[in-house]
Order: sequence, then C-alpha cells, then structure tokens
Amino acid sequence: MIATQGLSVRIDGRTIISDIAFEAQPGQLTAIVGPNGSGKTTLLKAIIGDHAYDGEIRLNGLDARSLGPAAAAGLRTVLPQASVLAFPFTVREVVALGTTAGRPGILGQALGGLPEAALARVDLDGFGPRCYQDLSGGEQQRVQLARVLCQVWVPVLDTQPRYLLLDEPVSSLDIRHQLQVMAIARAFADAGGGVVAVLHDLNLAAMFADRIAIIAGGRLLTMGSPKEALTDDRLEAAFGCPLRVGSVPTAPVPFVLPQSLADWTSIVPAH
Amino acid sequence: MAASAFDPAFPRGLSGVRAGDRSHLGRQAVMILALLLVLAMLVSLSTGASGTDLSALFHVLGGEPDPQDATALRDHVVMMNIRLPRMILGMLVGAGLAVSGLVMQGLFRNPLADPGLVGVSSGAGLGAVGVIVLGTTALAPLTGPLGIYSLQIAAFLGGLATTTILYRVATRSGQTAVATMLLAGIAIGALAGAATGVLVYVATDSQLRDLTFWNLGSLAGANWTKVMASGPIIALALGATLFLRNGLNALTLGEATAAHMGVPVERLKRVAIIAVAAATGAAVAVSGGIGFVGIVVPHLLRLVIGPDHRYLLPASALLGASFLLLADAVSRTIVAPAELPIGIVTAAVGGPFFLWILLRRRSAIAW
Amino acid sequence: MPHRLMLAACAALFALPAAADPFPDATRLVSIGGSLTEIVYALGEGERLVGRDSTAIYPPEALALPDLGYMRALSPEGVLSAGPTALLVLEGSGPPEALDVLEAAGVPYRVVPEDHSHEGILAKIAAVGDSLGVPDRAAALSAEIDDALDRAEALTRDVAEKRRVLFVLSVDGGKIQASGTGTAADAIIALAGGVNAVTEYEGYKALSEEAIIAARPDVILMMDRGGDHAATDADLLASPAIGLTPAGRDATIIRLDGAYLLGFGPRTADAVTDLARALYGAALAREGQGDGR
Repeated sequence: MIATQGLSVRIDGRTIISDIAFEAQPGQLTAIVGPNGSGKTTLLKAIIGDHAYDGEIRLNGLDARSLGPAAAAGLRTVLPQASVLAFPFTVREVVALGTTAGRPGILGQALGGLPEAALARVDLDGFGPRCYQDLSGGEQQRVQLARVLCQVWVPVLDTQPRYLLLDEPVSSLDIRHQLQVMAIARAFADAGGGVVAVLHDLNLAAMFADRIAIIAGGRLLTMGSPKEALTDDRLEAAFGCPLRVGSVPTAPVPFVLPQSLADWTSIVPAH
Repeated sequence: MAASAFDPAFPRGLSGVRAGDRSHLGRQAVMILALLLVLAMLVSLSTGASGTDLSALFHVLGGEPDPQDATALRDHVVMMNIRLPRMILGMLVGAGLAVSGLVMQGLFRNPLADPGLVGVSSGAGLGAVGVIVLGTTALAPLTGPLGIYSLQIAAFLGGLATTTILYRVATRSGQTAVATMLLAGIAIGALAGAATGVLVYVATDSQLRDLTFWNLGSLAGANWTKVMASGPIIALALGATLFLRNGLNALTLGEATAAHMGVPVERLKRVAIIAVAAATGAAVAVSGGIGFVGIVVPHLLRLVIGPDHRYLLPASALLGASFLLLADAVSRTIVAPAELPIGIVTAAVGGPFFLWILLRRRSAIAW
Repeated sequence: MPHRLMLAACAALFALPAAADPFPDATRLVSIGGSLTEIVYALGEGERLVGRDSTAIYPPEALALPDLGYMRALSPEGVLSAGPTALLVLEGSGPPEALDVLEAAGVPYRVVPEDHSHEGILAKIAAVGDSLGVPDRAAALSAEIDDALDRAEALTRDVAEKRRVLFVLSVDGGKIQASGTGTAADAIIALAGGVNAVTEYEGYKALSEEAIIAARPDVILMMDRGGDHAATDADLLASPAIGLTPAGRDATIIRLDGAYLLGFGPRTADAVTDLARALYGAALAREGQGDGR
C-alpha cells in the first residue's frame, strides 16, 4: 500500500499541497483528479520522491525517506507527462532501459525478450527498430509506458505488490489508445499491483478506477469509490462549475462516452 | 484481464528477432576497435625518425642490451624510453579525452559538450600554468610535497572547478540549454584564459621557457615519469566511468526519470564530474591541450552503434586511444626528423568532422 | 617539475667550468641554437655537424643539414635519427625530458649558457671549443672576436647624445610587442651605443599606445623577416602613437636580420657595427672603419 499522512509540499516558500492523507491499495487503480494547479501532480511527485515534503509517505509500510533510489525503483515505476530523449535511441533501446532499472522480476533469457513483449502490450509491435525521436507524441508516450512496465513487469514480486504511477498517461492519446492504456493499467492492478493515475478525464476515471481522490486547492477534497467521490456538489466544489453527474444532454447532440465500449478488453493486444 | 497478461512467459518475446537492438553492433565494435588499437600500438612502436623498426622490440624484450653495442643500446632506448612511454601516454590521453567528452555529453545530455569546447581544458590549463609559474614561489608549500603529481593535481582542480561552475550555470532542474552551456563554456574558457594570461605576463624568462615546453609538448616529452604521474589518474578515472554506464543511459531520459529508474543521480553527477576533471586534467598536464578527440570519437561511434553507454564507454576509450596513437604517428613522421604538434593533426581531422556534424545536424532533429 | 627544471639548469651551469672536458666522441655533432652552430663553423669544425635546429640558418652551409625542429620542442627520436654522438645545446633548449632520454641513449649533451653580453659570447666560444677538444682554436677565435667587439663598441664611445631605440618584435593588427630589459635586443642596443626606450618591464610584451608615446623612441628597430616591408612600415606608422614619436615623425625604421642581430655569436661585432652606423651614421669615430669580418 502507498499511504501518506499529513503530507505537505512547499515549493519556493509557497504551499502547494497540505495535510494530505492519501492511500492507494494494491490490486486497485486509484485515480487522482482535480482542476489544473490543484496539486495533483505535486502529490504524485512527492510520492515518487521528486519533491521534499513534510509528513510521511509509506510504500508497503516502508518510510519513503529511508528508501534508496534503487530500492524505490524496485517498488514503483513512474510514467512522466513528457519525456525528451537526448540521444537517438531506437524504440527498442528506450524500452530496454526499463529492464536495467528496478526489478523486472524476470530472469535469464526471457529478460532479453521483455522489451518486445512490452511493446506488443502497448500496441507497438514491430516498432522496435524505429527511431524514438521520429514517432508521434502518442506513440512516444506508449513507448515510455512500455519502458515503465518493464521496470516492474511482474506486479507482485517476492510477495511485495508493486506500483505503477502514471502522470496524465492518456493526455496525448486518441480514444482507442486512451482505452488501451487504461486497460493495461487496469490489468496491472487486477494482477495484484497497485496503480495511481493522475487523470483529467472524469469518465475514464469513473470507468477504470476503484477509488478516486479529488484534489482541490492543495487539499484532498474526498477519496472513495467513483460513486462516492463523483457527486454533483463535490465536482462543483472542486472545479467551480455546476456539473451534473449522469445527466445526458437535453438537446439532441451526439455524445460519446468511453463506457459505451461494451468489452474494452477486446482492444488490448492479446498475448 | 487476468494475471496471465503479465505472465513471465511470453512466447512472442522469445522469437529471437529483436529488431532495433543494436547491442550486437556495440559488442562487435568493441572487438574491432580492440584489434584496431593493437594495430595502432604496433604502428606507434614501429614509427619514428630513428629508423628503429619493430624487430628491435624483440631484442629489447630479450633483456638489457650489451653496453658496448651502440646500435643495440640505441634501439633499446628508442623502444623503452621513447616509444613505449609515448605509446602508453598517447593511449591514456586519447582514451581519457574521448571518454571525458562522452561522459560530459551524457551528463549534459548534449552531443556538443566537450572538455575543449566548453572551457574545461582551459581550466585545467590554468591549473597547470599556475603550478609552472607559481610552483616555486606562492604555491611552493603545496607543490613541494606533491612532487611529480603537482602539475596533474593542479590541472585536475582547474578542470573540476570549471566543470562544476559550468554545470551549475548551464543546468536548471536537470535540463541543459545548449546555448547557455556553450556561452557559459566560452565565458569560463575566456576567464581561465585571462587568468592564464596574467600568469604568463608575470612569468620570468625561465618560467616562460617551461611554459613553452609544456605548451608545445604534445607527446614529445613523454617519459616514464609522466606515465607514472598521469597514468594512474587517467586509468582510475576511466575505470570509474565504467560504473556510470547504466546511469548515463537512464540520464538520457532526464534527471527525474533517471532517479525514478533507481539511479542515484546526485552521486552519478559527482562521480562523472570528478572523473571528467581528473582525466582531462591529467591529459592536459602531460600533453598541453589536444582538441577535438572528445567530440569526434563519441560522435562517430554514436552514429554506428547508437547511444548505449554500455558499449560507447569502452568503444570510445579504444577508439580515442587508437586515434591519438595514429595522429601521433602522423605528427612525428610528416615533418621528420622534426615534429608537428599533435594538436594540429587532431584539429585538422576534427575540425572538418565537427563542421560535418553541424551540417548533418542542421537538417536533422533540432536539439 | 619546475623544481627539476631549475635543478637541471643550475646543474648545467655548474657543470661548465672554464675548461670542461671534451666530448668523448664529437665526430657526429648536433648543435641546437643558431649561435652555437655559427661558432662550430667559425671554429672550422663544421664537418662534424650532422644536424641543426630551425634557428640555425647561418652560414649557408648549415641549411644543408637536417633540421631537427624548433629548439624548444625537440623530439628525442628526431635528434637520434641524425645519428649523433654528441649534442651541444644552447641554454633554453628542450624539453629537458628529451635531453634526458638522449643522454640515456648514449648521446651526451652539454648545455651552453646563454648570456647576452660581450663576455657571454666569449664564454660560448670557449665552451664549444672545450667540448670539441679544440681549446686553442677557440682561444684564437675568442681573441679575434673580443677585439672586434671592442672596436665595435668603441665606435659609439664618444657619442654625446644617445638615441632612444624601440625594438619592435611584432606588429599584429596594430598591437605592438616591444622589448623591455633583459633581452637580446636590449643588450644589442646598449652595445651599439643606443638606449632602450622601454625599461619599465622585462622581456617582450605588448606596449600600450600611451607607453609608446612616453617612450619617445628616436629609432624603431625591427627584425628583417623578408617580404613586404612597405606594408609593415605603413601599418606601423599608421599607429597614432608611433606618429607622435620622433621615430614615427621621421619614419626612422632600422631592419636587421634576426639571427644576425640577436644571435650573440661570432657575427655580433658586425651586427653592433651595422646597428651603430644605422643609428649614428657618419658621425661615428673613424676608427670604426675597416674592421669588418
């Protein structure tokens, strides 16, 4: 479990988040939602050790401050919002970087084939020899996801659940790939790992998350199942606009919800 | 979705075809470059104005020469006291400069970082000139106990100071802006140059002479003392960089991501900066400034085997060593029996190559 | 390292008593330093020479010898390739590592001290003569040159108003490198009865515009490097500071061959004479006539 107690982060003397008690269980997908600048990403970055913080963060019961970089990398992996590559690696090489980090949990010969498996997983089969810098933004994002998956390929290793931390993982993706990425994260949670995803799309959060944390103004507004968290008054309080949950358009305009996909497992590349 | 999606056994991964994996190229390159280095070593040992050829090496290996036999004595000295120390020094300097360039490029996440271009060599040079000019006066309490290492250590400190300042100035939250880095490098280089100029101005006649020896030195002044003074420093620095290989790869994705991947980034940067300063400093201390090795060698290799530091590090060391040995062989044969400073040879090869890189780059991805 | 260099220099000075032992075998000699090569030829021992450095360009026969490079950047193997049995080097040649290696290879070397003076030249001749085992011939040459130098210096003994001379090493983009004290140029100006216009610093350094005006040179002395003098003259005289000096006003520029003027070897008496005549012309004492070698 990832758990924070009284977590506060100050950057340049300004308090970004304060007194947050957040938790993410293994076997679950926990979504963090909230308006721009509310502190969603700051919360995630505090958990992964990018920011100094007050309070306490525990990963599987271990104090995050006492975890060395290598130990932490064996427990959790992070998909950043954007990655700029300094040198012309191939897609395969970028993904393979994930196998030398953390603990994939796979040994011997199979480890050598892990990048291919991860690429297939993110629907980029055959992209291995392409130059990373020549890919579209969405493709690059999925390559990074493949790399990140390699780092903790086995969701539970030595009885320790491991965590996938995703910072706006679907922001540059089309709807098909948004669903695909969320399905991959879902599957990771179903296999016993934990997933924390910062999301903007409330529908995707409602569809895939077990629990949703709403952050507003640097504080944790609420945390609970989608049904508990996503209520009219909470959304209005968080986003400052009177949204209505579950309300369909009154005018006859088309609207498309991701939930309309009857079986989202059908679009995830099979193994 | 069941746990089977993340099952370790995934038939697709075992199919054997791993397109986009260039590590076999890397391994081949390291082997070929090792052979090239052996060849370059033989060239280095067999080239020279004196006409001593490789057969002399076998006589030399046979033991001490007969003191009465002038030719044997001469061959012995040419091999043991001229060419062998020069070869070893050339290899170390070449490998040190190439790997310094590579590590700086990895650290700054920028293919243009090079000890010579961004002022690190100037800083090391300032240290060396400081010892030559002030070594018997202001710095005497320091240079006395340090003995033969004082030049190397001063050059190391000069390189360390410039690299650290450069890093502080040019890097903000793990990102280096090319323009800032190059401009800061120029500024730091100019500053070191100005300080060097002041030292040269106050230098006495005999110190100026020592400065000239050092400046024009190239590898012509190679002897066992210099090998002993600089060799261990460069060898240690090279050894230390091997531990950076995975970290430098991860750093390609940025400092934050590297940290998420388990790389102790602060320690990596410290080790990298110290290794670069030590290798560059020791190289500058024995050979004056030799340019372009640190930029040409890693760049060429990156084009062939890709940017994976696991192979780039050994390959750069090998190619850097070979490049300098061959450049040195040219420098001592082209105007024999006199010598062309080796920096002229490396610049003659490196300058055009650098321009070619810039032309290629211009049409490729922006950086 | 500087320590070692200093020690080596001191050792070299002390290792040269007035009558040093000759080289065990000086049949194949390499001399480094133009003035030493000139002395070897002047002693009639030119046949022994198998190599020279790039500063040795006189006498013309010397140019036929293999050029082993610049005296301060000697390559040990390059020197060895000439097959020398002995090595004479002028103080300041090096690097010292190269000399050490050559000694280890069985080529003994001897450092001849450089002193820009009348006595320094005689000492050089004596050192070369001793090293080559021809002290008698060296003594004769020394006496002859001593005499010639005396006569050359005497030329200007009665000059009442000494002219101020600015020695310009180079003019590069209007920046003038001029000689201060302690240099060969300073010494030769004094021998020729002139006064060095710049005494504020030692060695060759860049001179500011105002310092040039303050130096008030009557004459500008330069090395003759061949090529287009008109262009350099124009460049030099275009400098507003030079224009304000007596030398600039009258465009008084003297050029003499560098090795001849600054070598401090057998030809120095002639150089002093030439310079003195160029400085003072017909006003010189008559005794200066007919002493040319």
